[in-house]
Amino acid sequence: MDDLELLRDLGRELGEEPPPELARQRTRLLDAARGRRRSRLPGGRWTLLGVVAAVTAAAVLVPASMLHGRGARPPAAGTPGAAAKAVNVLVVGSDARSGGPARSDTIVLVHLPADRASAEAVSIPRDSLVDVPACRSAKGAATRAYRGTVNTAYTVGGVPCLLKAVEKATLVPVDAAVEMDFGGFKAIVDALGGVQVTLPKAIVDPRGRRLLPPGRQVVDGEGALVYVRARHGLGDGSDLDRIKRQQQFMAAVVGRAKSGVLADPVRLARFTAAVARSVRTYPRMGVKELEALAWSLRKTGPGAVRFATVPVRPAPEDPNRVVIDRARADRVFTPFRR
Amino acid sequence: MVSAMTAPPTVPDCDADLIERSHADPEAFAALFDRYSAMLYRYVSRRLGPEAAEDVVGETFLVAFSKRHRYDAAYTDARPWLFGIATRLVARHHRSEAARYRALRRSPVDGPVEGPAERVAAGVTAWASRPALAAALAGLPRRDLDVLLLVAWGDLAYEEVARALGIPVGTVRSRLNRARRKVRAALGDTNPMDEEE
Repeated sequence: MDDLELLRDLGRELGEEPPPELARQRTRLLDAARGRRRSRLPGGRWTLLGVVAAVTAAAVLVPASMLHGRGARPPAAGTPGAAAKAVNVLVVGSDARSGGPARSDTIVLVHLPADRASAEAVSIPRDSLVDVPACRSAKGAATRAYRGTVNTAYTVGGVPCLLKAVEKATLVPVDAAVEMDFGGFKAIVDALGGVQVTLPKAIVDPRGRRLLPPGRQVVDGEGALVYVRARHGLGDGSDLDRIKRQQQFMAAVVGRAKSGVLADPVRLARFTAAVARSVRTYPRMGVKELEALAWSLRKTGPGAVRFATVPVRPAPEDPNRVVIDRARADRVFTPFRR
Repeated sequence: MVSAMTAPPTVPDCDADLIERSHADPEAFAALFDRYSAMLYRYVSRRLGPEAAEDVVGETFLVAFSKRHRYDAAYTDARPWLFGIATRLVARHHRSEAARYRALRRSPVDGPVEGPAERVAAGVTAWASRPALAAALAGLPRRDLDVLLLVAWGDLAYEEVARALGIPVGTVRSRLNRARRKVRAALGDTNPMDEEE
């Protein structure tokens, strides 16, 4: 191999196929061609934590498969999942890693229909402008209503405030909320003893460092985070492909839970404890209630989770922000309204 | 949109015709995007990674659009022009580009994993040479690097590189030779880190 050929090889390894998001740059060009002000729509796609939160939603589904194998215990009454009733769950992915105050990076509404045969997950761009209602801060002080991006509601009054803001903006009644951060996600995967994934090629960070080698492998929590965060370079790079990857990962999580953890009482206890420790629920649910919710989800296959992003349009008051497009959002949220 | 309903299917317009047409009908310029954005994206993502690449490709077409009146219609193929604009935009990111190559230089040589034997053999050469190649790229002066990568990663011919960078073909050749000499030296050398000047 001569030097140019080696270099071409390296190029092929480093380069990426154009992602579907490149279409936004075409829009940008057309806007310029039409003499419009440049508008770059923020949000509108799954952020990396969006993927994590989606997997988290799956983690809520995981105990279902475990309980399924463990003999049928009737679920406790009076918990969100117990009755055969449709439930809307707000999944909040927060990022508390940077040392500063935790930010809500991902906001996903999950709808579980009464028959639990499927689930819908709709992500809400964190920079959507909404009317944040009056809330209570963490210290209990009353806060004033204002117009701002939806994620600021979390900063102002935590998950309860975010929940109110989301309900108001989407007109979807929310029954419960689940909050989790990167650490929780990692802890859950680690408690499972890792999850098996197959990579068509290595995952490399923007600086070219190799984070995960290609091939079939069992990844720990840290590796799983790398896997679900990777947006490019796996599969054909399309949105559909990414969704497929998320679902495969969820299936792997479920499979792992069924085969490994279930067979080992010590690890089962460790796993349940990890889930209970890693997610905060509103209203508070103990291990028992989580199990009850999980029990009601036993029929939900990991492939039956559909993903969508709430339709948005540029905000009238600020073209750099988005607002939820009510008319189109109504269609997405139809199943969420009972 | 009615204006999008174009003439009956004939021979597709050459780039120069498209650009000509975009003077009166600016939206026609989007056809250039459809032709070359993927190609440009591959080239830029090799140099800067996917995040920056999306933006640089977008900028490239905005810059090209604003300069379309100065395009020389004698050149039917707009590729060199677009690659030239993209390369100048890549230069703005030279710090992160260099950091990318330096990081590759450090990446551990633990070899590729299992696969068909011959692919592994080929993979080993390519994989083993990676730190040396990256070290060479990190050490090249900008003007030589641009020529080398337009040839190797942009698939441009010498004349096209000359047009892209606005330099004579002879200069392209001499820069390419100099760059390749350094790359070969790095590949042959057991300790390429010492090769930097």
